[in-house]
Amino acid sequence: MTVVAAQFQPGTFVDAIRFIVDNFGMLFHLAVEQLELSFAAIGIALVIALPLGLWLGHKHRGLFFASSVANVGRALPSIVLIAFGVVFFGIGFWNNTAALVVLAIPPILTNAYFAIDSVDPDLVEAARGVGMTERQVVTQVELPVGLPLVIAGIRIATIFVIATATIASIAGGGGLGDVIVNQASYGLSGVVGASLYVSFLAFGAAALLGLLQRAVSPRPIPQD
Amino acid sequence: MIVAAGPVIPNFGQGTSCEVNNGTFCVSWVTEHWHDTLWPALVQHIELALIAVAIGFAISFLLALAGLRYRLIDAPIGYWADFLYTIPSLALFQLLVPITGLTTLTVEIALVSYTLLVLYRNMVEGLRAVPPDVLEAARGAGFTRTQTFLQVELPLATPTIMAGVRIATVSTISIATVAAFVLPKGLGYPLFNALREDTFKTEIFAAGALAVALALAADGLLHLLERALTPWARRVRRA
Amino acid sequence: MFRKHTRRAAKAAYAVSLGVALLIGLIGAAGATAAPKAAPTIVIGTKNFPEQYILGQLYKQALEAAGFTVSYKENIGSSELIDTAITSGKINFYPEYTGVIVQDLAKKPSPKTGTATYNAAKAFEQTRGLTLLNATPFYDSDSFGMLTSTAQKLGVKTIADMKKVKSFTFAGYPECKTRATCLLGLKNTYGLTQAKFVPLATISVYTLLDQGKITSGDVFSTDPQLLDSKYTVLTDTKHIFGFQNVAPVVSQKTLSAAGPKFAKVVNAVSAKLTLGAMKAMNKAVIVDKKTPAAVAGAFLKANNLG
Repeated sequence: MTVVAAQFQPGTFVDAIRFIVDNFGMLFHLAVEQLELSFAAIGIALVIALPLGLWLGHKHRGLFFASSVANVGRALPSIVLIAFGVVFFGIGFWNNTAALVVLAIPPILTNAYFAIDSVDPDLVEAARGVGMTERQVVTQVELPVGLPLVIAGIRIATIFVIATATIASIAGGGGLGDVIVNQASYGLSGVVGASLYVSFLAFGAAALLGLLQRAVSPRPIPQD
Repeated sequence: MIVAAGPVIPNFGQGTSCEVNNGTFCVSWVTEHWHDTLWPALVQHIELALIAVAIGFAISFLLALAGLRYRLIDAPIGYWADFLYTIPSLALFQLLVPITGLTTLTVEIALVSYTLLVLYRNMVEGLRAVPPDVLEAARGAGFTRTQTFLQVELPLATPTIMAGVRIATVSTISIATVAAFVLPKGLGYPLFNALREDTFKTEIFAAGALAVALALAADGLLHLLERALTPWARRVRRA
Repeated sequence: MFRKHTRRAAKAAYAVSLGVALLIGLIGAAGATAAPKAAPTIVIGTKNFPEQYILGQLYKQALEAAGFTVSYKENIGSSELIDTAITSGKINFYPEYTGVIVQDLAKKPSPKTGTATYNAAKAFEQTRGLTLLNATPFYDSDSFGMLTSTAQKLGVKTIADMKKVKSFTFAGYPECKTRATCLLGLKNTYGLTQAKFVPLATISVYTLLDQGKITSGDVFSTDPQLLDSKYTVLTDTKHIFGFQNVAPVVSQKTLSAAGPKFAKVVNAVSAKLTLGAMKAMNKAVIVDKKTPAAVAGAFLKANNLG
């Protein structure tokens, strides 16, 4: 069986860059579509998972639940969730959004839980001893200390959702996936170009949230 | 054109009313097609994942040894693995087809690439996290470099490495469902076919449930393996 | 320090794991890149929908019954992709629709008859080291499908009637966007520039029509769903969908290497594929959920071809 390597050479990469430049408008429009879907899903996931994770961590309850959610979450192939989404919701806004929400919840929930749960108990005791209410303990002690880990979870969820939203195009989700599944119309250069774009978006989001994570991390105490 | 005798059209058998009307879950379909559709897909899926994790493990192990010895190449290897991970699997599979054809090899190359991120990082982190005073003690007790590595560093790094193997295995099983886009193998194949045929619910649920069950089973088995490999940790856990 | 037996156990476990890993990897790699057998192997490819799976299985099983070695690569993709596969030698046989070859691959206007289409397609393929075997009696062309209720509501009977509809959605496989036998033809030949294209990589057009998410879509004339009066197709007065009998595309090298028996077996199968036969087989797979392999096998057996 002859294999043609000539079709994928540095030439394809150059063609991909040219494709991005030539189709900048279309790709930008598709990227916006993909980000809209992603942010909608992440937003909903935050509303569901963040308070739950923080509260469980504060109460130090539900360790098994939090770990299991992480395990089960990893075991859910995105294609399967997208297919289930189509079965339950038909084609529209909700099938892909619901699937992506399910994917985003585990990292957010688990990290929020462990972030708060692992705050130094002495610190919490001291806060209570000083007379802080439970809410103050959470907002003024536990959350600030656990924030980096919480944001790390949101970061993981964001990268994951943006990357997976690519596949959502097979179920009407639009976005850059429309080009990636359509090699027939856009050629291999289109597929490479669009996927470089997706990598760029995912990396960009990761970098931004990484900066945020760094900003809220406690700085080491300078040695005297 | 010569008019040939018309063809004999045999009775292919009727679908059950559940199947024809796309009911939520037709058990009859599952029992009828377990042997010709679901079971082969499951076996293919296990094969794909097993080979990918095995090769990924071997490659990551060698890379980790190199990355530990020569610090300079550690960061580049790490970034390269990161980058590979962000390439949408749909794209990577298509990219490899012109090079390696419509074969299992294409799928395996892609799947192995995705395991490198987790396996490499976990191996390096695990091995690097061995406390220096333990290494000192080993050297003091007369262990050679190789003995220290095999009898001290590796066992101590095992929990982290096993955690990486667990994550890599589960995510490989997950990504292998997308492989059906270029290769008609694995549980993704009946899933894609079912979506195409008027969203045939039973097949979607059956193939999907099998994929999830496979991932959970693999995760569970590897968890047991981890506990078997680290009996000392068990004592600590109970304390 | 650790107890001796746990140390040894861990060491042994690692050695075994690494060894097993390498072994599995090597065996897997060897299996994946195994060299094909010596005699001319017929490497059959198919496109990515049920009718193609049935056709692929029909030819595969018939050739195997006649003693040929067949390698089967199902679900390669659209015409554009599978055409690349055969011109680059990854496969040497696949069933194609003659009109698609002329209009979408050769990018020529549709000829006036089915025979002319076949001849034009054959001539085109022969310039590329390929050729066509005999065409099937049945044809399967794209069609402009919609719910009967929608058609009645809009008052349309032919595709040209759609010009009066202010805006509407039309769904189809992604490659439909750039095809003269699909969206491109609708826009250029019928002037339906107001059509909004909805690409569907895997979801069925009928699912979307049922849910009311789209006005119309690209359907195949042999789809069993069209037997239901719920759906209707608009008349293609300008023949953008062309004449679409199926003819196997074969590499000339394979054809001469495989001997006269090869063409005889394939043509015998093609001759039996009437519209009635194809529709029945499509129904068995798509509606009654039988596997393409089983349906093809039953048909061949009933006609003494496998």
